[in-house]
Amino acid sequence: MTAQVLFQNRHPDRIASIEEYCASGGYEALAAALGKFSRPQVQQLALDAVLLGRGGAGFPAGRKWMTVSENAPFPRYIVCNADEMEPGTFKDRVLIHTDPHQIIEGMIIVGYSILAEKGIVFIRSSYESAARILEREIARAKEAGFLGENILGSGFSMEITVHRSTGRYICGENTAQINAIEGKRANPVQPPPYPTEKGIWDLPTVTHNVETLACVPHILRHGPEWFRNLAATSTGAGTKLYCVSGRVKRPGCVELPMGIRLSRIIEDHAGGLPEGCQYKASLPGGASTRFLPKSFYDIEMDFDAMKTAGHRLGTGSIIVFDQKTCLVAATLNMIEFFARESCGWCTPCREGLPYVRDILARIEAGEGKEEFIPLLRRMSKYLCNSYCALAPGAASPVESLLTYFEDEVREHISQRRCPFK
Amino acid sequence: MPKLIIDGRKIEVDPGVKVIAAAEQAGIMIPRFCYHPALGSAGACRMCAVKFLEGPVHGIQMSCMVEARDGMMISSTDDEAVDFRRFIIELLMLNHPHDCPVCDEGGHCLLQDETISGGHAVRRYMGKKRTHRDQYLGELVQHEMNRCIQCYRCKRFYQDFCGYRDFGVMGIAGRTYFGRYSDGPLENPFSGNIIDICPTGVLTDKPARFKGRRWDFQRAPSLCIHCSLGCHTVVSARYRELIRVEARYCEAINGHFICDRGRFGFAFANHPKRPRQARIQGNSESYENALRIAADRLNSISRSAGPDAIACAASSRSSVETQFSLKFTARALGWQHPVFFMDRLQQDKVAAAVGRLNPDLAISLSDVEHADVILVLGADPIREAPMLALSMRQARRTGAKIAVLGPRPVSLPFDYTHWPMSPGDMDSALKKLLSTAFLETAEGLTETNIKPETAADSRKDPDAPEALAAMLQNSQRPVIVCGTDIVDLYLVTAAAELARYLHAENKRAGLFYVLPCANSSGAVIASAGGKSFSELLCSIENGNIKALLLVEMDPLYQFPDPERVKNALRTLELLIVMDYLPNRTIGYISETPSLSNPSALKQIIFPTLTLFETHAGFINQECRLQRSTPVHAGGMPLSQLTGGSHPPRQFPCDIPGADAKAAWQVLSDLEAAILSTPPAPGSFHELWSRIGSELGIENRAEIPDDLRIFPKNIQPEPGSAGSSPETAGNSQWNSLKADSCYGTEELSTYSPILGRAESALAKKAE
Repeated sequence: MTAQVLFQNRHPDRIASIEEYCASGGYEALAAALGKFSRPQVQQLALDAVLLGRGGAGFPAGRKWMTVSENAPFPRYIVCNADEMEPGTFKDRVLIHTDPHQIIEGMIIVGYSILAEKGIVFIRSSYESAARILEREIARAKEAGFLGENILGSGFSMEITVHRSTGRYICGENTAQINAIEGKRANPVQPPPYPTEKGIWDLPTVTHNVETLACVPHILRHGPEWFRNLAATSTGAGTKLYCVSGRVKRPGCVELPMGIRLSRIIEDHAGGLPEGCQYKASLPGGASTRFLPKSFYDIEMDFDAMKTAGHRLGTGSIIVFDQKTCLVAATLNMIEFFARESCGWCTPCREGLPYVRDILARIEAGEGKEEFIPLLRRMSKYLCNSYCALAPGAASPVESLLTYFEDEVREHISQRRCPFK
Repeated sequence: MPKLIIDGRKIEVDPGVKVIAAAEQAGIMIPRFCYHPALGSAGACRMCAVKFLEGPVHGIQMSCMVEARDGMMISSTDDEAVDFRRFIIELLMLNHPHDCPVCDEGGHCLLQDETISGGHAVRRYMGKKRTHRDQYLGELVQHEMNRCIQCYRCKRFYQDFCGYRDFGVMGIAGRTYFGRYSDGPLENPFSGNIIDICPTGVLTDKPARFKGRRWDFQRAPSLCIHCSLGCHTVVSARYRELIRVEARYCEAINGHFICDRGRFGFAFANHPKRPRQARIQGNSESYENALRIAADRLNSISRSAGPDAIACAASSRSSVETQFSLKFTARALGWQHPVFFMDRLQQDKVAAAVGRLNPDLAISLSDVEHADVILVLGADPIREAPMLALSMRQARRTGAKIAVLGPRPVSLPFDYTHWPMSPGDMDSALKKLLSTAFLETAEGLTETNIKPETAADSRKDPDAPEALAAMLQNSQRPVIVCGTDIVDLYLVTAAAELARYLHAENKRAGLFYVLPCANSSGAVIASAGGKSFSELLCSIENGNIKALLLVEMDPLYQFPDPERVKNALRTLELLIVMDYLPNRTIGYISETPSLSNPSALKQIIFPTLTLFETHAGFINQECRLQRSTPVHAGGMPLSQLTGGSHPPRQFPCDIPGADAKAAWQVLSDLEAAILSTPPAPGSFHELWSRIGSELGIENRAEIPDDLRIFPKNIQPEPGSAGSSPETAGNSQWNSLKADSCYGTEELSTYSPILGRAESALAKKAE
């Protein structure tokens, strides 16, 4: 078993209590942050630890906090993005159900580093049980003096509220989420100004994924070097929660060193593919990343290595497809989701995705034509000129389908049926 | 100042300007749907894609989302950019119906133009088009949601620009829907603008629906005369009928928009009962005969009772030409000086307002948008000058503080402080404000109109003056808006004093009066301290007046006691009415049989022309002289002659109902007939040279839009009614007019469209 950091208090049957969390060193980092370190030091520690945003974009967390200017107005906001809706991704839910206090502690520490007195957990409405857990544990943290007025006698005060999303994929987008919190339509807003300058109610707002926040206390407690050394590669840092689903024997969420090879995750930690199934492709980071064909089977799963190979780590949620799965149908399934979840703001996304869906559905139904392939290529290229990252993400599986599995698409067209049916 | 190159043209623009606007300055129109100069960038349609070749940004980007920066080299005609835009057009046409022939937008549709110019001609998408249910949005705007291309312009105008909430966007992805929660009339009194800004046929002009294509219309730049602001419009006419009015861009006044009253109030020009022919005693008569008989009668009255037994009146809705030619005619023939106002107080208030405007203080409507503090004194912007409310909202959106003083429950689409005060309380508050907060400034100024004196306590809100003083003193660009309707004369002068004091304190202070009518300024300049109608009425009742000329004036509508007017009119020997409206006075005299008695009152009616059929000048509330251009020749609309047959066709040699002449022309002909001289040809230019010398401007064929006339020596008669705050507003009970949504402005009361819209709103309110 590799080092378990975020999952150190993981139990198969219950949620770690605040006592258990404290016994394992929980809230020590908070005390250190409020006492030992200055706010710039806290920011520097996160930067030195190369803590990259775990929500998929991989932006350095420390640098995000540093963009909140010292003279920025108050109140400032720290938002925990628990609107987990990327297909194939369920790490945040597992994390909240495992050890919620490290998320709360992470929020308080980040909040302190930017002097945010308001914390908001923006949680997916289908995660009602997780929302209740967080509400309960936030109250316990408050009872224990880790939240509320004058935390641990430091003079710093902070409150955290749990805000349930109305349940749309786009609400996970940082700027759309801010609009949603304000009660507006969840349309993204193109920066500048960046949310760290003008976010919720035009006040500085730092948003982090659940997993990113959970990493923060551990960095403060053990130091950046320890955190960097957790990773399997020199470019990566820390551990990563990998969700594995699809054609594997033991699907689930596992904590592994950042940068571990894809083959190791699938074979050692997800039990490999079932008998008679061979690896054909996988999506490494949810539905909005590119297919990884067999040639990438040994790729190192960290932000840099994936980027070098022309792929994206995304959320690290691996969906495995075997040789019997029709990738046209799989892509169609994902495009159905994205076409439904477009916020309706910009034309390429709102109109382009249904168009792609229509073409893929025709190919899958055996009504495909030769000219569909250049048309799909052109569309997946132009989808990248959309307002936010939803359409480019949605275009990734389509584009990689045509890059790596063009023959399979052509088979659909030439045989006038789906060869897998 | 960033310097950049767009399509090979070098251009230097202000910092912060978006590339799409910079290109426009260089004369390059980048295709767009969601971008609108007044609403800003949205980045939604992705139609304005261009290719950035050099500089800080590279590749295909939206020109509305990127600020012009130094060293940029941009191509709007790059193959990749053109191909991307073609792709966007194809996407927008996936769900847009292909039925342009039955769409009312066809012919002036931006989507149609871009589809053609983008080269998208073959439909490849084989899926179904999505469909929506249309909503009933009231009597003004037609909704056809299937045509929507989701540019968000309507939502951004309706909610962000105007601040109304009953229309917006719902749903996501393919279900994105622009409308209301449920069917019902739009509550926004500027709702008609969403017709203009909708780039396709989702929101179209309901009253003008299916009345013609853009190329069928006779179109001309015109003016709105439904309030004193003088917004710019474009008017379309077909088959001698006015079909629709659209906003015309005017940087200084209305920007890109107009209000619904201005857009749909034009129906008076098409009115089926509009006078089309000269009439004597209710019988049709040729123009020449009517003129000869009128001249004879006037001559005989002039001989028997003297020329000063003949009185004449014009109104604030008449053009400058009409007002001044009446004045010239009366002067030439020795008649009484024409009256223009119903009562002395109103005339004095307008005189006080116009007389106090000067180039330092007078501001245009667009300047209101840049104010940081706006103080509204006794005005109700939405009803008296609707576009003012929209400009105030733009100021509020950039953080201006707005306070409204007045007795009426004013409703405005933004946050403001309302101090409910009677006119008398407003006087006291202003008096205290001037005498305390600005005492030092006042002492430094020479020739102050109001002497600082001991402060009188404001009766209801003793804190108001202090709060207002603090607000004004902390401002950089304060604007004082003052009404002239329900306020006392004192307040009109005090508003000017306040602006003067603020200006003396080195603030960019502005003074903005709201006047009663489109040409109140012209009327007060022409009247030059003459009598008011109520004084004239006394003379008629005393028997001193034998003949009366009413030129585009309707005392039965305007005078508060119509019975008294009717009685007075019956005592006259001759009543000549010239108007383009089927006005209440004409209605009264033609419906009252006793008046048709030949032995009694002789009554002659001359039809005149509206501003849509002739050149007509109007001086707005900031003393800006503007002129309309004739849209069509006039005459009875074909639809009224043919009873709605299709196609509306008739084959007579003459144009029925084309006997009407401009009022100044009738007056000129009448003067010539009385003096037995031949009418002078080219008299319009002659008239303008005379008007020009009266107004203190040189004779110009083309009057520029920025010509403002600040008359000298215009002020209320000393000692006239209501000039002192002690006598005015002291009564315990004042009755106030509570206008309906579109106002009780005279011309729009002839618009059945607005009538229907008003009752739809009223029904909903129940």
